[in-house]
Amino acid sequence: MAAKVAYDALIHPDRVHGSLYIDPAIFEDEMENIFHKGWVFVGHTSEVPNIGDFARRQIGRQPVLILHTPRDGVKLFLNRCTHRGNLLCTRTRGNANSFTCPYHGWSFGIGGELRGMPMPGGMGDSFDREALSLAEVPRVGIHRGFIFASLAREGMSFEEYLGDAKILLDRAADLSPEGEVDLSAGWLKHRFKANWKMLPENNTDGYHVVTTHASLLRATGVADSLAFNDEKGDPSLIRDWGGGHTELDFAPRYKMMGMPFLWFGGTSPKKLPNYVAAMRETYGDEVANERMMDGPPHAIIFPNLFLAELNITYFYPVSTNEVVQYYTPMLLKGAPEINARAIRQTEGAMGPGSFLLPEDACMAERNQLGLAAQYPEWLDLRRGMGREQVDEASGLLSSVVSDETTNRAFWRHYLSVMSEAA
Amino acid sequence: MLSESECREVEAFLFKEARLADESDYDGWEALWADDALYWVPTRPDADPETEVSHIYDNRTRIATRIRQLKSGVRYSQTPASPMRRVLSNIEIEKMSDDEYEAAANFMLMELAVQSTRNMNLWGGRAIYRLRREGGKLRLCSKKILLVDADEPIANLSFLI
Repeated sequence: MAAKVAYDALIHPDRVHGSLYIDPAIFEDEMENIFHKGWVFVGHTSEVPNIGDFARRQIGRQPVLILHTPRDGVKLFLNRCTHRGNLLCTRTRGNANSFTCPYHGWSFGIGGELRGMPMPGGMGDSFDREALSLAEVPRVGIHRGFIFASLAREGMSFEEYLGDAKILLDRAADLSPEGEVDLSAGWLKHRFKANWKMLPENNTDGYHVVTTHASLLRATGVADSLAFNDEKGDPSLIRDWGGGHTELDFAPRYKMMGMPFLWFGGTSPKKLPNYVAAMRETYGDEVANERMMDGPPHAIIFPNLFLAELNITYFYPVSTNEVVQYYTPMLLKGAPEINARAIRQTEGAMGPGSFLLPEDACMAERNQLGLAAQYPEWLDLRRGMGREQVDEASGLLSSVVSDETTNRAFWRHYLSVMSEAA
Repeated sequence: MLSESECREVEAFLFKEARLADESDYDGWEALWADDALYWVPTRPDADPETEVSHIYDNRTRIATRIRQLKSGVRYSQTPASPMRRVLSNIEIEKMSDDEYEAAANFMLMELAVQSTRNMNLWGGRAIYRLRREGGKLRLCSKKILLVDADEPIANLSFLI
Protein backbone atom coordinates (compact mmCIF):
# COMPACT_ATOMS: atom_id res chain seq x y z
CA MET A 1 0.00 0.00 0.00
CA ALA A 2 1.47 3.30 -1.09
CA ALA A 3 1.82 6.14 1.39
CA LYS A 4 -1.10 8.55 1.52
CA VAL A 5 -0.68 11.69 -0.52
CA ALA A 6 -0.73 14.93 1.50
CA TYR A 7 -3.00 16.91 -0.79
CA ASP A 8 -2.95 20.07 1.30
CA ALA A 9 0.79 20.30 0.65
CA LEU A 10 0.21 20.14 -3.12
CA ILE A 11 -2.73 22.55 -3.45
CA HIS A 12 -2.44 26.15 -2.32
CA PRO A 13 -4.80 29.05 -2.99
CA ASP A 14 -2.53 30.52 -5.66
CA ARG A 15 -0.72 27.46 -7.05
CA VAL A 16 -0.89 23.70 -7.51
CA HIS A 17 1.89 21.13 -7.71
CA GLY A 18 2.83 19.56 -11.04
CA SER A 19 2.72 16.03 -9.62
CA LEU A 20 -1.08 16.29 -9.44
CA TYR A 21 -1.20 15.68 -13.19
CA ILE A 22 1.32 12.88 -13.50
CA ASP A 23 1.43 10.81 -10.29
CA PRO A 24 -0.27 7.39 -10.78
CA ALA A 25 -1.03 7.14 -7.04
CA ILE A 26 -2.98 10.39 -7.24
CA PHE A 27 -4.88 9.10 -10.26
CA GLU A 28 -5.88 5.99 -8.28
CA ASP A 29 -7.13 8.21 -5.42
CA GLU A 30 -9.13 10.29 -7.91
CA MET A 31 -10.77 7.25 -9.47
CA GLU A 32 -11.86 6.06 -6.05
CA ASN A 33 -12.82 9.31 -4.37
CA ILE A 34 -14.10 11.47 -7.22
CA PHE A 35 -15.28 9.09 -9.94
CA HIS A 36 -16.44 6.04 -8.03
CA LYS A 37 -17.60 7.42 -4.66
CA GLY A 38 -18.63 10.86 -5.85
CA TRP A 39 -21.40 11.94 -8.18
CA VAL A 40 -20.63 12.08 -11.89
CA PHE A 41 -22.64 12.86 -15.01
CA VAL A 42 -23.62 9.76 -16.98
CA GLY A 43 -26.12 10.76 -19.66
CA HIS A 44 -29.58 12.12 -20.37
CA THR A 45 -33.00 10.50 -20.33
CA SER A 46 -33.63 11.70 -23.91
CA GLU A 47 -30.99 9.21 -25.05
CA VAL A 48 -33.25 6.33 -24.00
CA PRO A 49 -36.81 7.56 -24.70
CA ASN A 50 -38.48 4.16 -25.15
CA ILE A 51 -38.74 1.05 -23.00
CA GLY A 52 -35.81 -1.23 -23.80
CA ASP A 53 -33.61 1.63 -25.04
CA PHE A 54 -30.09 1.43 -23.69
CA ALA A 55 -26.82 3.38 -23.91
CA ARG A 56 -23.41 2.18 -22.78
CA ARG A 57 -21.41 4.48 -20.52
CA GLN A 58 -18.55 4.46 -18.08
CA ILE A 59 -18.42 5.67 -14.50
CA GLY A 60 -14.74 6.14 -13.78
CA ARG A 61 -13.32 2.89 -15.09
CA GLN A 62 -16.50 0.84 -14.65
CA PRO A 63 -18.78 -0.04 -17.59
CA VAL A 64 -22.46 0.76 -17.03
CA LEU A 65 -25.70 0.63 -18.98
CA ILE A 66 -28.35 3.32 -18.98
CA LEU A 67 -31.54 1.32 -19.45
CA HIS A 68 -35.15 2.38 -19.86
CA THR A 69 -36.87 -0.33 -17.82
CA PRO A 70 -40.52 -1.40 -18.29
CA ARG A 71 -41.69 -0.45 -14.79
CA ASP A 72 -39.14 1.81 -13.11
CA GLY A 73 -38.19 4.32 -15.79
CA VAL A 74 -34.51 4.97 -16.43
CA LYS A 75 -32.11 2.93 -14.31
CA LEU A 76 -28.36 2.32 -14.34
CA PHE A 77 -26.82 -1.14 -14.18
CA LEU A 78 -23.25 -2.35 -14.10
CA ASN A 79 -22.58 -3.84 -17.54
CA ARG A 80 -21.45 -7.23 -16.29
CA CYS A 81 -22.99 -10.68 -16.37
CA THR A 82 -23.67 -11.66 -12.77
CA HIS A 83 -22.47 -15.22 -13.44
CA ARG A 84 -18.77 -14.99 -14.29
CA GLY A 85 -18.22 -11.32 -15.14
CA ASN A 86 -18.56 -11.17 -18.93
CA LEU A 87 -19.22 -7.73 -20.43
CA LEU A 88 -22.94 -8.15 -21.03
CA CYS A 89 -23.73 -5.52 -23.67
CA THR A 90 -21.15 -4.61 -26.31
CA ARG A 91 -23.34 -2.34 -28.47
CA THR A 92 -22.97 1.40 -27.89
CA ARG A 93 -26.69 2.10 -27.92
CA GLY A 94 -29.90 0.53 -29.17
CA ASN A 95 -33.11 -1.13 -28.11
CA ALA A 96 -33.30 -4.58 -26.57
CA ASN A 97 -35.92 -7.04 -25.35
CA SER A 98 -33.34 -8.83 -23.23
CA PHE A 99 -29.58 -9.21 -22.78
CA THR A 100 -28.07 -12.65 -23.15
CA CYS A 101 -24.51 -13.34 -22.14
CA PRO A 102 -22.88 -15.39 -24.93
CA TYR A 103 -20.49 -17.17 -22.55
CA HIS A 104 -22.93 -19.56 -20.78
CA GLY A 105 -26.23 -18.18 -22.05
CA TRP A 106 -27.48 -16.42 -18.92
CA SER A 107 -30.29 -14.11 -19.92
CA PHE A 108 -31.46 -10.86 -18.31
CA GLY A 109 -34.67 -8.89 -18.82
CA ILE A 110 -34.74 -5.17 -19.51
CA GLY A 111 -35.69 -4.57 -15.91
CA GLY A 112 -32.33 -6.10 -14.96
CA GLU A 113 -33.85 -9.36 -13.68
CA LEU A 114 -32.20 -12.72 -14.29
CA ARG A 115 -34.56 -14.57 -16.60
CA GLY A 116 -32.85 -17.86 -17.00
CA MET A 117 -29.87 -19.94 -18.02
CA PRO A 118 -29.27 -23.24 -19.81
CA MET A 119 -29.59 -26.33 -17.59
CA PRO A 120 -30.83 -24.50 -14.47
CA GLY A 121 -31.17 -27.74 -12.49
CA GLY A 122 -27.45 -27.75 -11.82
CA MET A 123 -27.70 -24.51 -9.82
CA GLY A 124 -29.02 -26.44 -6.80
CA ASP A 125 -32.16 -26.07 -4.71
CA SER A 126 -31.07 -23.05 -2.68
CA PHE A 127 -30.25 -20.96 -5.75
CA ASP A 128 -31.62 -17.41 -5.27
CA ARG A 129 -32.33 -16.12 -8.76
CA GLU A 130 -33.20 -12.60 -7.57
CA ALA A 131 -29.82 -12.13 -5.93
CA LEU A 132 -28.21 -12.56 -9.34
CA SER A 133 -30.16 -9.78 -11.07
CA LEU A 134 -27.93 -7.21 -12.78
CA ALA A 135 -26.11 -5.06 -10.22
CA GLU A 136 -27.67 -1.64 -9.98
CA VAL A 137 -25.63 1.51 -9.68
CA PRO A 138 -26.35 2.28 -6.01
CA ARG A 139 -27.38 5.92 -6.36
CA VAL A 140 -28.85 7.78 -9.31
CA GLY A 141 -30.01 11.40 -9.43
CA ILE A 142 -31.87 12.99 -12.32
CA HIS A 143 -32.47 16.72 -12.80
CA ARG A 144 -34.21 18.00 -15.95
CA GLY A 145 -33.32 14.68 -17.59
CA PHE A 146 -29.58 14.98 -16.78
CA ILE A 147 -28.56 11.68 -15.18
CA PHE A 148 -25.90 11.60 -12.48
CA ALA A 149 -24.73 8.62 -10.49
CA SER A 150 -22.58 7.52 -7.60
CA LEU A 151 -21.18 4.03 -7.18
CA ALA A 152 -21.12 4.49 -3.38
CA ARG A 153 -24.14 3.38 -1.36
CA GLU A 154 -23.69 6.23 1.08
CA GLY A 155 -22.36 9.74 0.94
CA MET A 156 -23.34 13.26 0.03
CA SER A 157 -26.90 13.43 -1.31
CA PHE A 158 -27.57 14.28 -4.97
CA GLU A 159 -29.23 17.55 -3.93
CA GLU A 160 -26.24 18.55 -1.82
CA TYR A 161 -23.81 17.61 -4.62
CA LEU A 162 -25.59 19.67 -7.25
CA GLY A 163 -26.34 22.56 -4.90
CA ASP A 164 -27.20 25.86 -6.54
CA ALA A 165 -25.64 24.64 -9.79
CA LYS A 166 -28.96 23.01 -10.60
CA ILE A 167 -29.87 26.54 -11.74
CA LEU A 168 -27.36 26.04 -14.59
CA LEU A 169 -29.14 22.87 -15.72
CA ASP A 170 -32.44 24.73 -15.45
CA ARG A 171 -31.08 27.53 -17.60
CA ALA A 172 -30.18 25.00 -20.30
CA ALA A 173 -33.55 23.23 -20.24
CA ASP A 174 -35.52 26.48 -19.99
CA LEU A 175 -34.24 27.53 -23.43
CA SER A 176 -36.66 24.94 -24.77
CA PRO A 177 -40.28 26.03 -25.10
CA GLU A 178 -41.11 22.58 -23.74
CA GLY A 179 -38.59 22.85 -20.91
CA GLU A 180 -36.53 19.89 -22.08
CA VAL A 181 -33.28 19.35 -23.91
CA ASP A 182 -32.82 16.47 -26.31
CA LEU A 183 -29.44 14.73 -26.52
CA SER A 184 -30.33 12.23 -29.24
CA ALA A 185 -28.05 13.45 -32.06
CA GLY A 186 -25.19 11.10 -31.15
CA TRP A 187 -21.81 11.68 -29.54
CA LEU A 188 -18.44 12.65 -31.00
CA LYS A 189 -15.59 11.01 -29.09
CA HIS A 190 -12.19 12.60 -28.74
CA ARG A 191 -9.04 11.13 -27.23
CA PHE A 192 -6.66 13.51 -25.44
CA LYS A 193 -3.25 12.28 -24.32
CA ALA A 194 -3.52 14.45 -21.23
CA ASN A 195 -4.64 14.38 -17.63
CA TRP A 196 -8.41 14.72 -17.16
CA LYS A 197 -8.14 17.76 -14.88
CA MET A 198 -6.99 19.88 -17.77
CA LEU A 199 -10.49 19.60 -19.24
CA PRO A 200 -12.54 21.12 -16.43
CA GLU A 201 -9.73 23.61 -15.86
CA ASN A 202 -9.78 24.68 -19.50
CA ASN A 203 -13.49 24.60 -20.20
CA THR A 204 -14.31 27.61 -18.05
CA ASP A 205 -10.98 29.35 -18.64
CA GLY A 206 -11.64 32.69 -20.30
CA TYR A 207 -7.95 33.58 -20.50
CA HIS A 208 -6.84 31.11 -23.20
CA VAL A 209 -9.42 31.94 -25.86
CA VAL A 210 -7.69 34.82 -27.59
CA THR A 211 -4.40 32.94 -27.96
CA THR A 212 -5.25 29.23 -28.15
CA HIS A 213 -8.15 29.90 -30.52
CA ALA A 214 -6.56 32.80 -32.44
CA SER A 215 -6.75 30.81 -35.69
CA LEU A 216 -10.53 30.54 -35.58
CA LEU A 217 -10.93 34.17 -34.57
CA ARG A 218 -8.79 35.16 -37.54
CA ALA A 219 -10.40 32.75 -40.02
CA THR A 220 -13.89 33.97 -39.17
CA GLY A 221 -12.92 37.62 -38.90
CA VAL A 222 -14.15 38.07 -35.33
CA ALA A 223 -10.69 38.54 -33.85
CA ASP A 224 -11.01 42.30 -33.60
CA SER A 225 -14.60 42.44 -32.45
CA LEU A 226 -14.25 39.87 -29.72
CA ALA A 227 -14.19 41.49 -26.35
CA PHE A 228 -11.80 38.85 -25.00
CA ASN A 229 -9.02 41.01 -26.39
CA ASP A 230 -9.68 43.66 -23.80
CA GLU A 231 -10.73 42.40 -20.41
CA LYS A 232 -11.76 45.90 -19.35
CA GLY A 233 -14.27 46.14 -22.17
CA ASP A 234 -15.98 42.83 -21.46
CA PRO A 235 -18.54 42.68 -18.65
CA SER A 236 -18.70 38.86 -18.88
CA LEU A 237 -18.03 37.17 -15.57
CA ILE A 238 -16.28 34.10 -14.33
CA ARG A 239 -18.04 32.49 -11.40
CA ASP A 240 -17.60 29.95 -8.60
CA TRP A 241 -20.88 28.14 -7.89
CA GLY A 242 -19.34 26.09 -5.07
CA GLY A 243 -18.82 22.33 -5.07
CA GLY A 244 -16.30 22.65 -7.90
CA HIS A 245 -19.02 23.88 -10.27
CA THR A 246 -17.84 26.90 -12.26
CA GLU A 247 -19.17 29.20 -14.93
CA LEU A 248 -18.11 31.62 -17.63
CA ASP A 249 -21.15 33.88 -17.89
CA PHE A 250 -21.48 35.72 -21.21
CA ALA A 251 -24.95 37.14 -20.48
CA PRO A 252 -23.60 40.51 -19.27
CA ARG A 253 -21.82 40.98 -22.60
CA TYR A 254 -24.93 40.01 -24.56
CA LYS A 255 -26.97 42.46 -22.47
CA MET A 256 -24.43 45.20 -23.08
CA MET A 257 -24.60 44.59 -26.82
CA GLY A 258 -28.38 44.60 -26.51
CA MET A 259 -29.22 41.88 -29.04
CA PRO A 260 -30.86 38.50 -28.56
CA PHE A 261 -29.33 35.31 -29.99
CA LEU A 262 -25.71 36.47 -29.83
CA TRP A 263 -25.23 32.93 -28.46
CA PHE A 264 -26.67 31.66 -31.74
CA GLY A 265 -24.48 33.47 -34.23
CA GLY A 266 -26.38 36.72 -33.75
CA THR A 267 -29.28 35.33 -35.79
CA SER A 268 -32.15 37.77 -36.30
CA PRO A 269 -35.28 36.83 -34.30
CA LYS A 270 -37.14 37.19 -37.62
CA LYS A 271 -35.40 34.03 -38.81
CA LEU A 272 -36.63 32.11 -35.77
CA PRO A 273 -40.31 33.17 -35.69
CA ASN A 274 -41.75 29.90 -34.43
CA TYR A 275 -39.15 29.55 -31.70
CA VAL A 276 -39.64 33.12 -30.47
CA ALA A 277 -43.42 32.68 -30.50
CA ALA A 278 -43.26 29.33 -28.68
CA MET A 279 -40.93 30.73 -26.00
CA ARG A 280 -43.22 33.73 -25.40
CA GLU A 281 -46.27 31.50 -25.38
CA THR A 282 -44.79 29.21 -22.73
CA TYR A 283 -42.95 31.66 -20.50
CA GLY A 284 -44.49 35.06 -21.20
CA ASP A 285 -42.78 37.87 -23.10
CA GLU A 286 -40.56 39.19 -20.33
CA VAL A 287 -39.06 35.86 -19.20
CA ALA A 288 -38.79 34.55 -22.76
CA ASN A 289 -37.02 37.70 -23.97
CA GLU A 290 -34.54 37.51 -21.12
CA ARG A 291 -33.75 33.86 -21.85
CA MET A 292 -33.27 34.55 -25.56
CA MET A 293 -30.91 37.38 -24.59
CA ASP A 294 -28.91 35.49 -21.94
CA GLY A 295 -28.60 32.21 -23.84
CA PRO A 296 -27.43 28.83 -22.56
CA PRO A 297 -24.91 28.32 -19.76
CA HIS A 298 -21.18 27.87 -20.29
CA ALA A 299 -20.42 25.95 -17.13
CA ILE A 300 -18.80 22.94 -15.51
CA ILE A 301 -20.72 20.62 -13.23
CA PHE A 302 -17.97 18.92 -11.22
CA PRO A 303 -16.25 16.78 -12.18
CA ASN A 304 -17.12 15.73 -15.73
CA LEU A 305 -20.07 17.61 -17.25
CA PHE A 306 -19.52 20.68 -19.40
CA LEU A 307 -22.61 22.66 -20.37
CA ALA A 308 -20.98 24.17 -23.44
CA GLU A 309 -23.69 26.58 -24.57
CA LEU A 310 -25.59 24.64 -27.27
CA ASN A 311 -23.40 21.57 -26.73
CA ILE A 312 -23.19 19.03 -23.97
CA THR A 313 -19.78 17.59 -23.22
CA TYR A 314 -18.52 15.07 -20.70
CA PHE A 315 -15.44 12.95 -20.24
CA TYR A 316 -14.05 9.92 -18.51
CA PRO A 317 -10.42 9.59 -17.44
CA VAL A 318 -8.38 6.66 -18.77
CA SER A 319 -5.03 7.13 -17.03
CA THR A 320 -2.79 9.91 -15.68
CA ASN A 321 -2.12 10.99 -19.25
CA GLU A 322 -5.24 10.03 -21.17
CA VAL A 323 -8.86 11.14 -21.17
CA VAL A 324 -11.77 10.69 -23.58
CA GLN A 325 -14.16 13.59 -24.12
CA TYR A 326 -17.67 13.25 -25.64
CA TYR A 327 -19.70 15.98 -27.38
CA THR A 328 -23.29 16.23 -28.58
CA PRO A 329 -25.51 19.11 -29.71
CA MET A 330 -27.90 20.31 -27.02
CA LEU A 331 -31.10 20.17 -29.04
CA LEU A 332 -34.13 21.96 -27.61
CA LYS A 333 -37.48 20.19 -27.63
CA GLY A 334 -40.06 22.17 -29.57
CA ALA A 335 -37.40 24.27 -31.37
CA PRO A 336 -36.74 22.78 -34.85
CA GLU A 337 -35.49 26.16 -36.13
CA ILE A 338 -32.70 26.09 -33.55
CA ASN A 339 -31.96 22.39 -33.80
CA ALA A 340 -31.27 22.19 -37.53
CA ARG A 341 -28.44 24.68 -37.13
CA ALA A 342 -27.33 23.50 -33.70
CA ILE A 343 -25.98 20.27 -35.20
CA ARG A 344 -23.88 22.25 -37.69
CA GLN A 345 -22.71 24.55 -34.87
CA THR A 346 -21.53 21.57 -32.84
CA GLU A 347 -19.55 20.28 -35.80
CA GLY A 348 -17.94 23.70 -36.14
CA ALA A 349 -16.99 24.05 -32.50
CA MET A 350 -16.68 20.65 -30.87
CA GLY A 351 -14.99 17.37 -31.60
CA PRO A 352 -11.72 16.21 -33.11
CA GLY A 353 -12.50 17.63 -36.57
CA SER A 354 -13.89 20.97 -35.42
CA PHE A 355 -12.49 24.50 -35.41
CA LEU A 356 -12.05 24.82 -31.63
CA LEU A 357 -11.43 21.59 -29.73
CA PRO A 358 -8.35 20.37 -31.63
CA GLU A 359 -6.51 23.38 -30.20
CA ASP A 360 -7.70 22.60 -26.66
CA ALA A 361 -6.60 18.99 -27.09
CA CYS A 362 -3.26 20.10 -28.46
CA MET A 363 -2.70 22.49 -25.53
CA ALA A 364 -3.70 19.81 -23.00
CA GLU A 365 -1.26 17.36 -24.58
CA ARG A 366 1.50 19.94 -24.61
CA ASN A 367 0.79 20.71 -20.95
CA GLN A 368 1.14 17.03 -20.17
CA LEU A 369 4.45 16.85 -22.02
CA GLY A 370 5.73 20.02 -20.36
CA LEU A 371 4.83 18.75 -16.91
CA ALA A 372 7.36 15.94 -17.31
CA ALA A 373 9.79 18.73 -16.41
CA GLN A 374 9.70 18.89 -12.62
CA TYR A 375 10.82 22.50 -12.31
CA PRO A 376 9.33 24.92 -11.58
CA GLU A 377 7.40 22.61 -9.28
CA TRP A 378 4.22 24.70 -9.29
CA LEU A 379 1.56 25.83 -11.75
CA ASP A 380 0.67 29.45 -11.10
CA LEU A 381 -3.03 30.20 -10.59
CA ARG A 382 -2.96 33.64 -8.97
CA ARG A 383 -4.49 35.60 -11.83
CA GLY A 384 -7.25 37.88 -10.55
CA MET A 385 -6.87 36.97 -6.86
CA GLY A 386 -6.73 40.62 -5.96
CA ARG A 387 -9.90 41.61 -7.75
CA GLU A 388 -12.41 38.80 -7.41
CA GLN A 389 -15.47 39.60 -5.32
CA VAL A 390 -18.85 38.33 -4.28
CA ASP A 391 -21.26 39.32 -7.02
CA GLU A 392 -24.28 41.10 -5.51
CA ALA A 393 -26.86 39.60 -7.83
CA SER A 394 -25.83 35.96 -7.45
CA GLY A 395 -24.05 35.97 -4.10
CA LEU A 396 -21.27 33.98 -5.77
CA LEU A 397 -17.56 34.66 -5.99
CA SER A 398 -17.06 36.28 -9.40
CA SER A 399 -14.36 38.02 -11.35
CA VAL A 400 -13.19 39.34 -14.69
CA VAL A 401 -13.68 36.83 -17.50
CA SER A 402 -9.95 36.25 -17.97
CA ASP A 403 -9.28 35.48 -14.29
CA GLU A 404 -8.37 32.10 -12.82
CA THR A 405 -11.17 32.22 -10.27
CA THR A 406 -12.70 29.09 -11.81
CA ASN A 407 -9.42 27.16 -11.65
CA ARG A 408 -9.07 28.05 -7.97
CA ALA A 409 -12.69 27.01 -7.39
CA PHE A 410 -12.01 23.66 -9.03
CA TRP A 411 -8.93 23.02 -6.90
CA ARG A 412 -10.56 24.20 -3.67
CA HIS A 413 -13.26 21.60 -4.12
CA TYR A 414 -10.82 18.94 -5.33
CA LEU A 415 -8.77 19.44 -2.17
CA SER A 416 -11.81 19.07 0.05
CA VAL A 417 -12.91 15.85 -1.67
CA MET A 418 -9.44 14.31 -1.72
CA SER A 419 -8.64 15.32 1.88
CA GLU A 420 -11.93 14.03 3.30
CA ALA A 421 -11.27 10.69 1.76
CA ALA A 422 -7.66 10.45 2.91
CA MET B 1 -20.03 3.00 -69.88
CA LEU B 2 -16.78 4.01 -68.26
CA SER B 3 -13.93 4.13 -70.78
CA GLU B 4 -10.35 3.13 -69.95
CA SER B 5 -9.20 6.73 -70.33
CA GLU B 6 -11.95 8.01 -68.03
CA CYS B 7 -10.96 5.40 -65.47
CA ARG B 8 -7.31 6.56 -65.60
CA GLU B 9 -8.39 10.20 -65.37
CA VAL B 10 -10.56 9.63 -62.28
CA GLU B 11 -7.83 7.56 -60.59
CA ALA B 12 -5.28 10.27 -61.33
CA PHE B 13 -7.62 12.80 -59.73
CA LEU B 14 -7.97 10.69 -56.58
CA PHE B 15 -4.20 10.24 -56.31
CA LYS B 16 -3.64 13.97 -56.77
CA GLU B 17 -6.24 14.81 -54.12
CA ALA B 18 -4.53 12.37 -51.75
CA ARG B 19 -1.10 13.87 -52.39
CA LEU B 20 -2.28 17.46 -51.89
CA ALA B 21 -3.89 16.43 -48.60
CA ASP B 22 -0.78 14.48 -47.51
CA GLU B 23 1.41 17.48 -48.20
CA SER B 24 -1.00 19.97 -46.59
CA ASP B 25 -1.04 21.90 -49.85
CA TYR B 26 -4.06 23.87 -48.71
CA ASP B 27 -4.54 26.07 -51.77
CA GLY B 28 -4.04 23.20 -54.19
CA TRP B 29 -6.50 21.02 -52.28
CA GLU B 30 -9.13 23.75 -51.98
CA ALA B 31 -8.90 24.42 -55.73
CA LEU B 32 -10.16 20.88 -56.44
CA TRP B 33 -13.59 21.61 -54.98
CA ALA B 34 -16.75 22.49 -56.92
CA ASP B 35 -19.13 25.13 -55.57
CA ASP B 36 -21.66 22.58 -54.26
CA ALA B 37 -19.01 20.91 -52.13
CA LEU B 38 -19.57 18.54 -49.23
CA TYR B 39 -16.62 17.35 -47.13
CA TRP B 40 -18.14 14.85 -44.70
CA VAL B 41 -16.83 12.57 -41.95
CA PRO B 42 -19.87 10.90 -40.32
CA THR B 43 -19.74 8.82 -37.13
CA ARG B 44 -21.29 5.84 -38.90
CA PRO B 45 -21.82 4.87 -42.57
CA ASP B 46 -25.60 5.34 -42.77
CA ALA B 47 -25.82 8.42 -40.54
CA ASP B 48 -28.48 11.04 -41.32
CA PRO B 49 -26.71 14.42 -41.19
CA GLU B 50 -30.00 16.22 -40.56
CA THR B 51 -30.51 14.49 -37.22
CA GLU B 52 -27.05 13.23 -36.27
CA VAL B 53 -23.83 15.05 -35.52
CA SER B 54 -20.80 14.33 -37.74
CA HIS B 55 -17.10 14.83 -37.11
CA ILE B 56 -16.97 17.09 -40.16
CA TYR B 57 -19.83 18.32 -42.35
CA ASP B 58 -18.36 21.19 -44.39
CA ASN B 59 -20.12 22.93 -47.25
CA ARG B 60 -18.00 25.06 -49.61
CA THR B 61 -18.10 28.08 -47.29
CA ARG B 62 -16.96 26.04 -44.32
CA ILE B 63 -14.20 24.38 -46.36
CA ALA B 64 -12.94 27.89 -47.12
CA THR B 65 -13.02 28.77 -43.40
CA ARG B 66 -11.19 25.53 -42.59
CA ILE B 67 -8.48 26.38 -45.11
CA ARG B 68 -8.17 29.99 -43.85
CA GLN B 69 -7.78 28.64 -40.32
CA LEU B 70 -5.12 26.12 -41.40
CA LYS B 71 -3.27 28.89 -43.22
CA SER B 72 -3.46 31.33 -40.31
CA GLY B 73 -0.17 30.05 -38.91
CA VAL B 74 -1.78 29.65 -35.48
CA ARG B 75 -3.95 26.57 -36.05
CA TYR B 76 -1.82 25.02 -33.33
CA SER B 77 -3.16 21.49 -33.75
CA GLN B 78 -1.67 21.61 -37.28
CA THR B 79 1.29 23.92 -36.64
CA PRO B 80 3.49 22.55 -38.00
CA ALA B 81 1.37 20.40 -40.29
CA SER B 82 1.43 16.66 -39.60
CA PRO B 83 3.74 14.75 -41.92
CA MET B 84 1.40 12.32 -43.67
CA ARG B 85 1.29 9.67 -46.35
CA ARG B 86 -1.75 7.69 -47.42
CA VAL B 87 -2.28 4.75 -49.71
CA LEU B 88 -5.41 4.38 -51.83
CA SER B 89 -6.55 0.97 -52.96
CA ASN B 90 -9.62 -1.10 -53.92
CA ILE B 91 -10.76 1.71 -56.19
CA GLU B 92 -14.17 1.38 -57.79
CA ILE B 93 -15.55 3.92 -60.24
CA GLU B 94 -19.04 4.32 -61.59
CA LYS B 95 -20.18 6.72 -64.28
CA MET B 96 -23.33 8.45 -63.04
CA SER B 97 -24.04 10.63 -66.11
CA ASP B 98 -22.15 12.18 -69.03
CA ASP B 99 -20.16 14.42 -66.72
CA GLU B 100 -20.42 12.83 -63.25
CA TYR B 101 -18.58 9.96 -61.62
CA GLU B 102 -18.79 8.27 -58.26
CA ALA B 103 -15.59 6.73 -57.03
CA ALA B 104 -14.67 4.91 -53.85
CA ALA B 105 -11.35 3.83 -52.42
CA ASN B 106 -10.00 2.26 -49.28
CA PHE B 107 -7.27 4.28 -47.63
CA MET B 108 -4.62 3.88 -44.99
CA LEU B 109 -3.04 7.04 -43.67
CA MET B 110 0.01 7.41 -41.45
CA GLU B 111 -0.10 10.73 -39.61
CA LEU B 112 2.61 11.95 -37.27
CA ALA B 113 1.28 14.28 -34.56
CA VAL B 114 4.34 16.50 -34.38
CA GLN B 115 2.37 19.32 -32.71
CA SER B 116 2.22 17.50 -29.37
CA THR B 117 2.63 13.78 -28.68
CA ARG B 118 4.65 12.83 -31.78
CA ASN B 119 2.42 9.75 -31.91
CA MET B 120 2.14 8.00 -35.26
CA ASN B 121 -1.60 7.83 -35.80
CA LEU B 122 -3.01 5.21 -38.15
CA TRP B 123 -6.22 6.24 -39.89
CA GLY B 124 -8.10 3.88 -42.17
CA GLY B 125 -11.40 3.59 -43.92
CA ARG B 126 -13.17 4.08 -47.21
CA ALA B 127 -13.59 7.39 -49.02
CA ILE B 128 -16.48 7.94 -51.38
CA TYR B 129 -16.04 10.70 -53.94
CA ARG B 130 -18.40 12.41 -56.34
CA LEU B 131 -16.65 14.10 -59.25
CA ARG B 132 -18.04 16.34 -61.99
CA ARG B 133 -16.45 17.54 -65.20
CA GLU B 134 -16.64 21.33 -65.37
CA GLY B 135 -15.07 23.15 -68.33
CA GLY B 136 -13.14 20.04 -69.26
CA LYS B 137 -11.65 19.53 -65.77
CA LEU B 138 -12.74 17.19 -63.00
CA ARG B 139 -13.92 18.83 -59.77
CA LEU B 140 -14.63 17.32 -56.39
CA CYS B 141 -18.31 17.72 -55.43
CA SER B 142 -18.26 15.53 -52.36
CA LYS B 143 -15.91 13.43 -50.32
CA LYS B 144 -17.44 11.24 -47.62
CA ILE B 145 -14.89 9.56 -45.39
CA LEU B 146 -16.00 6.43 -43.52
CA LEU B 147 -13.42 5.94 -40.81
CA VAL B 148 -13.21 2.41 -39.44
CA ASP B 149 -13.14 3.89 -35.94
CA ALA B 150 -15.47 6.85 -36.56
CA ASP B 151 -17.59 6.01 -33.51
CA GLU B 152 -14.60 5.42 -31.22
CA PRO B 153 -12.52 8.03 -29.41
CA ILE B 154 -10.16 9.45 -32.05
CA ALA B 155 -7.25 11.88 -31.98
CA ASN B 156 -7.31 15.36 -33.53
CA LEU B 157 -8.70 15.34 -37.05
CA SER B 158 -7.71 18.88 -37.97
CA PHE B 159 -5.51 17.85 -40.92
CA LEU B 160 -7.05 17.12 -44.36
CA ILE B 161 -8.38 13.57 -44.23
